[in-house]
Amino acid sequence: MEHVLTAFQNVFTGPALFWVGAGVLLGYILGAIPGLGKATGAAVAIPLTYYLDPVSALGLLIGIAKGSGAGSAVSAILLNTPGEPSSAPTALDGYPLARQGNAQKALKMGLFASVIGDFLSTIVLIVLAAPLARYALLIGPVELCAILIFSLTFIGGLSGGSMIKGLIAACFGIFFATVGMETETFVPRLTFGFLQLDDGISLVPMAIGMLAVAEMIVQAGNRREIDAQSAEMKDSDNPDDRRITGAEWRRCAPVILRGTFIGSVVGILPGLGASVGSFLSYGATKRASKTPEKFGTGMIEGVAAAESADNAVVPSSFVPLFALGIPGSVIAAILIAAFILHGLTPGPRMFVEQPGLVADLYVAMLSASLIMLILGYAGQRFFAMIIRVPLRLIIPGVLLFCCVGSYMETSSAFSIYVMLFFTLIGFLSRKLDFSFVTFLIGFVIAPKLELSFRQSLQLLDHDWANLVHHPIAIVFFLAAVVTVLAVARKQAGQSVEPIDIEREELS
Amino acid sequence: MTTRRTVIATAAGLVLALSGFAAVAQDYPTRPITMFVGYGAGGQTDLIARASAKVLSEQLGQPVNVVNKPGAGGAVAANELKSKAPDGYTMLFQSNAVINAAPFLMDRVDFKPDDFEYAGMITAYQTGMAAPKDAPYDTLPEFIAWAKQNPGFAYAALSSEARMYMDAIAEREGLEANAVPVQSGSEMVNTLIAHQVAVAFSGGIHYRYPDEIKTIAPTTTFRHPSAPDVPTIEEAGFDLAMDTRTVIILPKGTPKDVIDKISTALKAAETDPDFVKVTKAADIPIMYYDAAAATKEMNDTYTKNKAILTGGN
Amino acid sequence: MKRANAITGVVLAIVAILSLVVIIPWQIETGPQGMMSPRLVPQIMMGCILLLSVLLFVTNLGPDETGAPQPFSQAELRALALIGGIFALSIVLYYLIGPLAFGVTLVAGSLIGLGERRPLVIVAMPLVLMLMLWALFYKVLGTAIL
Repeated sequence: MEHVLTAFQNVFTGPALFWVGAGVLLGYILGAIPGLGKATGAAVAIPLTYYLDPVSALGLLIGIAKGSGAGSAVSAILLNTPGEPSSAPTALDGYPLARQGNAQKALKMGLFASVIGDFLSTIVLIVLAAPLARYALLIGPVELCAILIFSLTFIGGLSGGSMIKGLIAACFGIFFATVGMETETFVPRLTFGFLQLDDGISLVPMAIGMLAVAEMIVQAGNRREIDAQSAEMKDSDNPDDRRITGAEWRRCAPVILRGTFIGSVVGILPGLGASVGSFLSYGATKRASKTPEKFGTGMIEGVAAAESADNAVVPSSFVPLFALGIPGSVIAAILIAAFILHGLTPGPRMFVEQPGLVADLYVAMLSASLIMLILGYAGQRFFAMIIRVPLRLIIPGVLLFCCVGSYMETSSAFSIYVMLFFTLIGFLSRKLDFSFVTFLIGFVIAPKLELSFRQSLQLLDHDWANLVHHPIAIVFFLAAVVTVLAVARKQAGQSVEPIDIEREELS
Repeated sequence: MTTRRTVIATAAGLVLALSGFAAVAQDYPTRPITMFVGYGAGGQTDLIARASAKVLSEQLGQPVNVVNKPGAGGAVAANELKSKAPDGYTMLFQSNAVINAAPFLMDRVDFKPDDFEYAGMITAYQTGMAAPKDAPYDTLPEFIAWAKQNPGFAYAALSSEARMYMDAIAEREGLEANAVPVQSGSEMVNTLIAHQVAVAFSGGIHYRYPDEIKTIAPTTTFRHPSAPDVPTIEEAGFDLAMDTRTVIILPKGTPKDVIDKISTALKAAETDPDFVKVTKAADIPIMYYDAAAATKEMNDTYTKNKAILTGGN
Repeated sequence: MKRANAITGVVLAIVAILSLVVIIPWQIETGPQGMMSPRLVPQIMMGCILLLSVLLFVTNLGPDETGAPQPFSQAELRALALIGGIFALSIVLYYLIGPLAFGVTLVAGSLIGLGERRPLVIVAMPLVLMLMLWALFYKVLGTAIL
């Protein structure tokens, strides 16, 4: 306990608080600029961490990680160009809200959901890191395989207008995810002789092309209509359009809690990442809603669901890092490097050997949440004005930032070609109404699924009877089957007798 | 005004060009140096590269900028280095496996030691076979005895070398092994700590988990400084040891005095307190080789690895 | 949209057949014995796409809804060509001159292409943006990105 008190003293009187704030600010700005994001921020922050004391250095990195998670909602809502793939579901409802003149409401909900998700997840990390990490170890490849199959059942609900097209998009996502060296056989797949493709198509340039550049082209084509609409759009006199009403809070509170829960769980599991968290949370919220058909037209719950989960992933992905010394995300891997730079070994021994440092870190993380709230709240009024700038002035800058963000991923022009290739695919899928959300889910989940399936085959010694030693996996397999059956039954029932469903829901 | 300045600049350039390489090399370095790293930021090699860049920058008096160019285990970065001017202003900090092992493992990589210059090696990877701490075997022979009783056991393989090692051992001893593919060092550690696999082939990061993981056989020619009592795979009777070290690679044709300058500057890392602190925390032993020794090591290991990796077929 | 869907279905079916017959066997070797084939997942995906695109074609047969908007508007296709052209030009200049030329061309080119006519904006915006990036990466953060 005395560590906690000294920690508050250390963080609030030393330079650490400044660096946490700088990290949050930098992350928030980078996140809010389409094309740049977490990856950019972390890459540029590493050299800085050399010169700082451990708590400041780690505070800076954590600040960037948290700030960019919240910042990416801004561009998703205002420009329909998610700063990071994990904010793609935020744009689904956030952008319609902004076009309806409720930009500030959507921004506020995005910020509050981010901060709440982040704060609660940080608490989870602090209180439960050690025991949770032990449970996370129970989730081996076999269990992960079952969980991923279960989470794929959400794809149907996210596929937008047409289920067939949504599934085609998901298949293409999985197909493109297979590019590169296959981990088990070491056979390169679909690389066409490019060594740059051996490690697969990287998510960042792909997502930037698909989400941001393609969207900019579509908006460029419709710039006259959009600009005319923006010019007419006035802040309505009704203050309720700018803030979140009590009724909305009541509707969103359970959504945020569910999002936080999903995000925290996804963060603890190895290698899933924020995108999976926000997609799952959005899908689950849509399924639980009484009016799922309204999602995508400006439901504030959509923003709350996506952003709370997106940001809850960040702190909980540090659970395996703090408790076991195993990084759960790219940021966590870079944090390990920062720990080692300062002569510290991350892992359980930290708690014994450096309890003061751990307490300092926790306090730094909690203050990052608060700084995020203050900066975001101060900034949203300013950000909301972007929506009034004519598109011809926005698009060139966005295109440039997209190129910088893609380029920085590998420091080579090849990333820009990857970005442009997926720009074309993104453009076609937008115009022909193929859901790029299901494409992204397929792309993000598939490599993990294939690998964990291959691992499971080996671990089970090619004998499915050995599955009895993996009860958690069996539960998720069964849950997947039940969900598919339930959805199928519901749809079959809907087409035959829609009235029955309503009666069922009422009862 | 502008014209005159241009003329002067051109003249100065001409004089510089005429005075030849020697004079230019003597002043080396006069501008910032770029150091490629063929992995993403945050990994073991990236960490050592950045620490080395700091030492080099202090010694040479010019900034050394680290640029991550990940892809194909460093082959993408090495390919790009080939096309750079051999003037010492672009270098690659990488595991020497990109040149002495990758050509035998990847169809589209055909580097030879002669394609590059080497300015020195600084650290060695403590590659080896690791097992959960409470496993009933401590050495390779004990493991083989255990494996004979437990056919169908699983091991984690991060690279095709790992598979090669286990295939060679299994073939000689008649073992039945399942290779569980893993994608990263942390995933490999995870499978060990959670007891999902019996052994794993590690690039050295398992030493960060001394409470949970032990080494049962280094796959290097030397015993690991972090576990001096564990006999190597060669001592256990398998002629399979392959050493990997971090090396500074330069384009072919870099002037010798530039190489020597870098080599001397790198030697300072051996005693630099920051560098020592970083490597110590990461359990990475410092083993400095100067330019000549590094080139010899490169040629020797290339020949040896070729025999091991392609010898069978 | 119905006609577009039917055409898309046919195109995707052709893509899937081409992938199954030509691209996958050409670009993916068969793996070693005793392991799941590296071709398996791509093949399953292309198989699914083939099935689904046939389904898409069949469910969208028949005449188009009258008065339904075309999926591609003229203006959007023009924007695609315009921005594609600006990227092509910028990349050529990247190889001929350097990254600075790339950035300036990209920003100035798309400004002009999108209808900006004020000379001050066309000159100032690329400069300010490039300066900002340079200041952010080289001065504030001290990392070279090129």
